[in-house]
Amino acid sequence: MANIAAQRIKREFKEVIKSEEVAKCAIKVELVNDNYTELKGEIAGPPETPYEGGTFVLEIKVPETYPFNPPKVRFITKIWHPNISSVTGAICLDILKDQWAAAMTLRTVLLSLQALLAAAEPDDPQDAVVAKQFKENQDMFKQTARHWTSIYAGGPHRNTEFDLKIRRLTDMGIEDHQARVALSSYNWDLERATEQLFS
Amino acid sequence: MAAANEPGPSRNNEEKEKEKDERMFECNICLDTARDAVVSLCGHLFCWPCLHQWLETRPNRQVCPVCKAAISKEKVIPLYGRGSTKQEDPRNKVPPRPPGQRSEPENNGGFPGFGFGDGGFHMSFGIGAFPFGFFTSTFNFGEPRPSAAPRGTPQFEEEQFVSKVFLWVAIMFVCWLLMA
Repeated sequence: MANIAAQRIKREFKEVIKSEEVAKCAIKVELVNDNYTELKGEIAGPPETPYEGGTFVLEIKVPETYPFNPPKVRFITKIWHPNISSVTGAICLDILKDQWAAAMTLRTVLLSLQALLAAAEPDDPQDAVVAKQFKENQDMFKQTARHWTSIYAGGPHRNTEFDLKIRRLTDMGIEDHQARVALSSYNWDLERATEQLFS
Repeated sequence: MAAANEPGPSRNNEEKEKEKDERMFECNICLDTARDAVVSLCGHLFCWPCLHQWLETRPNRQVCPVCKAAISKEKVIPLYGRGSTKQEDPRNKVPPRPPGQRSEPENNGGFPGFGFGDGGFHMSFGIGAFPFGFFTSTFNFGEPRPSAAPRGTPQFEEEQFVSKVFLWVAIMFVCWLLMA
């Protein structure tokens, strides 16, 4: 790995663990390997959003050309958000692509992602299904996102109605996550989700 | 930054202050103390090698890494500190840092009317019919002309172009006078 990349990550890492956001448990960074090429990030779901109370784990891969090119970041924790793929965790955020600037750091990237959770951009979606629901049925979107937060990110609000519907599908031999995706995609319409799963 | 390795009561205020001072001169790209420092017009400090690499990475979108203001190679200013390391020549490092630009201070001393001695004497003649000729031939005493732009800069090329244009206009004017 190019020296400048490792050097900089080392400095950033020291800085981020001393920052006040870490003290407030809003963000967290951990090393995955010793040569600073891969890190694990964590962000807390912002308050007054469906992600409140959840902890979202991120995979951060540092390219050799860092900081001249952005780090590769994706969500490991499954999340229901218009700009994040519910399948792969890929993120659609301009600063991780063409709007990257060399003075940005791990800390600012994590804070930007936290801001993205609070302010989705449905007109520039990564997950078209989620974006459509966000635009057409805001309330359904919020409930779904809150449900995903409770299941995958340790959020506090468990939705028993949704759980029951998933149970109906898993009883038919459908895998738990697959059932959740189908139901989420069809606004928790059990009939249509079943139709899609068995077609 | 080094002090982060030795936390505890041994760190006194002076050390903290020193660390703060050092951090003020950190390059915004490598986060180390800036070497071969340059500053952008928006006021952000970088190592020249770091900034150069950033500009090379995105040649068609040259923005400040901190504030995203437009920047260019020509418009950064090198910083020369007194205690800069003389042992190693920064020019040995590719690419060379852009040179500082130095303009002469305005000379306002003395009586401006008789400035023959200090090279401030300029004279120009024009050809034309009576009332206009009166205006076109002027005597400029003591008025210092701005020094020419250094060779190779865009300003130098512009000035060359303008002076060529005026030369051609003058030649055409003389031709017209001869023909008429």
